[in-house]
Amino acid sequence: MFENLIKKSAMKSPWLFHINAGSCNGCDIEIVAVTTTLYDAERFGFKLVGSPRHADIVVVSGPVTMQSKERLIRTLAQVPEPKCVVSIGSCPQSGNVFKGSYAIDGPLEKYVHVDVAVAGCAPKPQAIMEGLYEAAQILEEKREMIRKAKKGVKGSGVIEVPAAAGTAQVSAAAAPASTAAPESTEAAPEAFAAAEPAAAAAVESTEKEVASK
Amino acid sequence: MIVLKYLFNALIFPGALFTILAGFLLSGLDRKVIARMQRRIGPPLAQPVYDFFKLAGKENIVPAAANVTAYKLAPVLSFVSLAFIMVFIPIFSFSAFSSKADLIVILYLITIPGVALIIGGSASGSPYGAIGISREMVTMMSYELPFVLVLLAVAKKAGGDQLVFSLKEIGEWQAVNGSMLLHWSMIPAALAMLLVIPAEVGTQPFDVAEAETEICEGPLCEYSGAPLAVFKLSTCMKMFIMTGLFTAMFLGGIRTGFAGTDAILFVLICCVVTILCITTIHAITARLRIQHLFQFYWTYVTLLALVSLVLVWFGL
Amino acid sequence: MNMIQHFPVLAVMTLFLGAFLIEILGRNQIVRNALAFAAVSISMVLLICLIRPVLLEGQVISYWMGGWKPVANYAIGIGYEVDALGLTFALLGITAYWLSCVYSFGYMKGKQHLGHYYTLFLMLAGASVGFFLTGDIFNMFIMMEIVTFSAVALTASNTEKTTAIEGAFKYLINCSIGSSMTLAGIALIYLNCHTLNLAQLATILPGNVNLTTLMAFALILIGFCVESAMIPFHASFVDAHTVAPSSVSMILSGMVLKLGVYGLIRISYIVFRAIDTSSLQILLTAFGTVTMFIGVTMALAQHDFKRLLAFHSVSQLGYIIAAAGLCTSLGLTGSLYHAINHTLFKGLLFLCAGAVIHATGTSDLDALGGLSKRMPKTCICFLIGAFSISGLPPFNGFVSKWMIYQAAYAKAVTTGNFYYAVVTVTALVVSVMTLASFVKVLHSVFFGQLKKEHESVHEAPGIMLFPMYIMSALCVLTGIFYKAFSTVFIGPAVFAAFNNTTYIDSMMGEGYAELFGVPALAIDKLEFSYWNPFVWFVLFVIVFAAACVVIFSSTGTRGRTLKSGGSYDSVYGTGDLSVDFMGRTYETGDPEEKYAVFFSGEKAEYSHAGGSDLFWGFKYNWHKYYQFLQGLHSGSVNDYSAYAVICIAVICMFMFLFMR
Repeated sequence: MFENLIKKSAMKSPWLFHINAGSCNGCDIEIVAVTTTLYDAERFGFKLVGSPRHADIVVVSGPVTMQSKERLIRTLAQVPEPKCVVSIGSCPQSGNVFKGSYAIDGPLEKYVHVDVAVAGCAPKPQAIMEGLYEAAQILEEKREMIRKAKKGVKGSGVIEVPAAAGTAQVSAAAAPASTAAPESTEAAPEAFAAAEPAAAAAVESTEKEVASK
Repeated sequence: MIVLKYLFNALIFPGALFTILAGFLLSGLDRKVIARMQRRIGPPLAQPVYDFFKLAGKENIVPAAANVTAYKLAPVLSFVSLAFIMVFIPIFSFSAFSSKADLIVILYLITIPGVALIIGGSASGSPYGAIGISREMVTMMSYELPFVLVLLAVAKKAGGDQLVFSLKEIGEWQAVNGSMLLHWSMIPAALAMLLVIPAEVGTQPFDVAEAETEICEGPLCEYSGAPLAVFKLSTCMKMFIMTGLFTAMFLGGIRTGFAGTDAILFVLICCVVTILCITTIHAITARLRIQHLFQFYWTYVTLLALVSLVLVWFGL
Repeated sequence: MNMIQHFPVLAVMTLFLGAFLIEILGRNQIVRNALAFAAVSISMVLLICLIRPVLLEGQVISYWMGGWKPVANYAIGIGYEVDALGLTFALLGITAYWLSCVYSFGYMKGKQHLGHYYTLFLMLAGASVGFFLTGDIFNMFIMMEIVTFSAVALTASNTEKTTAIEGAFKYLINCSIGSSMTLAGIALIYLNCHTLNLAQLATILPGNVNLTTLMAFALILIGFCVESAMIPFHASFVDAHTVAPSSVSMILSGMVLKLGVYGLIRISYIVFRAIDTSSLQILLTAFGTVTMFIGVTMALAQHDFKRLLAFHSVSQLGYIIAAAGLCTSLGLTGSLYHAINHTLFKGLLFLCAGAVIHATGTSDLDALGGLSKRMPKTCICFLIGAFSISGLPPFNGFVSKWMIYQAAYAKAVTTGNFYYAVVTVTALVVSVMTLASFVKVLHSVFFGQLKKEHESVHEAPGIMLFPMYIMSALCVLTGIFYKAFSTVFIGPAVFAAFNNTTYIDSMMGEGYAELFGVPALAIDKLEFSYWNPFVWFVLFVIVFAAACVVIFSSTGTRGRTLKSGGSYDSVYGTGDLSVDFMGRTYETGDPEEKYAVFFSGEKAEYSHAGGSDLFWGFKYNWHKYYQFLQGLHSGSVNDYSAYAVICIAVICMFMFLFMR
């Protein structure tokens, strides 16, 4: 009933959760700067929240130290779907000046799919803003995709892939869900497995690196 | 027929739907105005609506340590009880459910959303939740004393040497004798009430229970998706109900005579009260510590309310 | 009518007879249980038969033991006299005993010396019922003594706790102080009036104050104050309630304390009619207010489940006495309603505590947690009890507390006395503190995280759950149908307390009351300007159910939580969708992590924050007060007796200064 409203809201109210994976605090300060009076991220509905359970976008800064790795992965797992991961600064991308250190186990890509990477040491608030805005768009697409997939499982068993992805339709025959009852839970993993390449492609195409200005 | 009327009252006006809409308006206004106070542009007015629907569309993770039933039912309890409280508060001359409902019924009903939050936070099994509920409960104890004193002062002022607890009768008294705020002896009580509202709603500087920077939003820490949306909605509704109670108690004398215009006027006054007590205080203060919060309410705010009660007692 | 006349005395005798039979025949468990159950049930049926004539038709049933009827207008024999006030309390008592008896079958199973346990239990029951039904002040004293001694023995019978004997000893000392005061008072009365019959005293004593009767009144009043655990007489009661077996604690805390309340109402409203003097009203309300406040603040600091409940009994008794001291019909209605409610919810809570002890073997709040997953039924019963005692609508505690506030503030505005406004404010604030301490119990025992060693605890057996269900149902029903309930039970009792003409006439013969010109107490018109809880409740349930459906079915995005090894079937697919969905995997894409509590990124471990320090922010501000109070609760019976003596002296002085 409120589908359209939910769709619209998904990108209008992205809440941020910030994880410091061993950052030197330079990026953290810039992230805070984004929410200050001058840049005012709240214009777009961005809000820093205190718990990963409330987050839509996880903002990661720092080169993923050995100490923080486990905590990072654990916290990321606790964020509810749909979620986006945004890396801030050069450290999560490459390790930056810390690269090669025995204390570093990066880059972030090793552990999680990064939707938007904002480069720079430290990136300007404007760049971070643009990256976050980008992530909000991706968030909406992800939601849509999950919804479609969900509908496919629950309804006829046909998994529709979003047209934006531009990939081939996955027919009902591919998904065993077609023979199962709508409530069948066994069908779900298979259906998702079938949807996987298409979905991955869809998000890959929207991924974008925002260069430091 | 009477059941239908009650259902209409509970669900649409002045119950759930009206309260939700007004709550969204107040909450959006609060965020917008505070942004303007800080010279920001701020979120759109409909931001709480977006927040609500975004959360409603998100995954709902129930932690394995939680008591699932209590965890799920707590937000609903909070929402439904709030929807019902509004039915008991007269909107100027219009009072829906019962003319007999009184201040004490409302006082007790208002504690239920807090209890629901406590049950939810406690049932989630989170250590942050445990600290959060402890602070929430202490906050409740803190503002209860001045709140009670304000209610009794209002009742005594309206009743004279008769017992009047009914909000409707208090409203009628104000229609005849002018709003409570026009009587100088009630001004300390009104100030105390204005300070009670932010603690009841849980906004800065009295948001110790849901401090997101220190205890990860306390009782709400483990909530996600639809239940969180309902809790956030409850906060919006609480804003409207508390400011509405203030309006009914202190500004009840104004009335246009038509239910429709009355409702609009009521919401407008609530907006002003929200900006006055929630937004302004939020903009100029930082979060208190829990023991200081308790001290603050049991000394200064209580004193304000007590001054009013004593003045009223001597017929002033 | 003739048959009915014998019912009160039969109701008492059945219980005593049962006690003797159990002592003789009670070797066999089945025989013993059957006898106890039969005795309590028969007594209950007999009392229920009295509802129609006494409560509905307004008769007063009188019975002279051995046919010793009054001669020349002087009552010589012992009379039993059942008016609405007595019967309401007796019904309440026998219901509590019946439920406790059923609970005992499960709770006490396998304990030693059960024959003695049931004997004492029935003695206690018989004496309490007799106390409510008797029409003779000396007989009241006798019954009070039987109650005391069986209660002491029952407390000491808890062989699992080493402190049981100590608790019983303190209880004995404390009650002895109370009963010796009562006895002294009764002696003074007999000296002055040459009769012990309540009905006859009610014609002689009112308006006939001299130093002797005033002293007698003060002493009897103190006796009943001790019996109802007013501050400062409460400390040893609390100790005893903590260590007694839970089925007995329920009776001691829920029922035996009501003996004092009944006695207070009986002597101050009916026998002495002193309640309409304003100084006595102030004395009783002050007593009640101090008691409710100190009781609840002490309860907030406790870390034992049962001790916390015991302190709450003290606090709730404060409400009851304060409301009874207001001397308005609404106040007395609220008082009696709260007395009944207190038996229901406090009994329920003690039974829940018993179930927890039965399952885990401890009642230490610091050592429990997360039991709601293993004992969901007990948890629901506890929630109902906790909401009732904290006075959340629509449970019964709300109705009675509402009446008490209403009555107290009405008294304040009509008399213009600011003191009663203070009483109202205290009562309201105490209510939220009650809520706070039950939040503490709720979190420390039932919610939060489950301890490793409690993983395997079980729900209480059915025979223990059954009385809990009944009490929960009664808590809800008396809250919703408060109007019917107060019309049938409490209205007549209040009427009986304010108008004793029938009481006197039925005992001493028609026209006796008029002969002596008994002044009638002014009775206010009872009106309940109360919201309609039934409609509200039905609507609430409907909307609640609807909201549940809307909120949880339309989104339907719950991740179901299973124990390790199970599969997660949220609508989003497998446990952590991003793994499949994005074509990448986390290094530890472990669903366990996703559904663990957020622990700032650390691996979640046992971190139950509960117990006595939960309200640190509150206690921090009150630490001087708590230091002082905890110093006073030294646990030494010598200290407690000293407080009692000081208090007795103060009350006597007050009486002589202000009540002459």
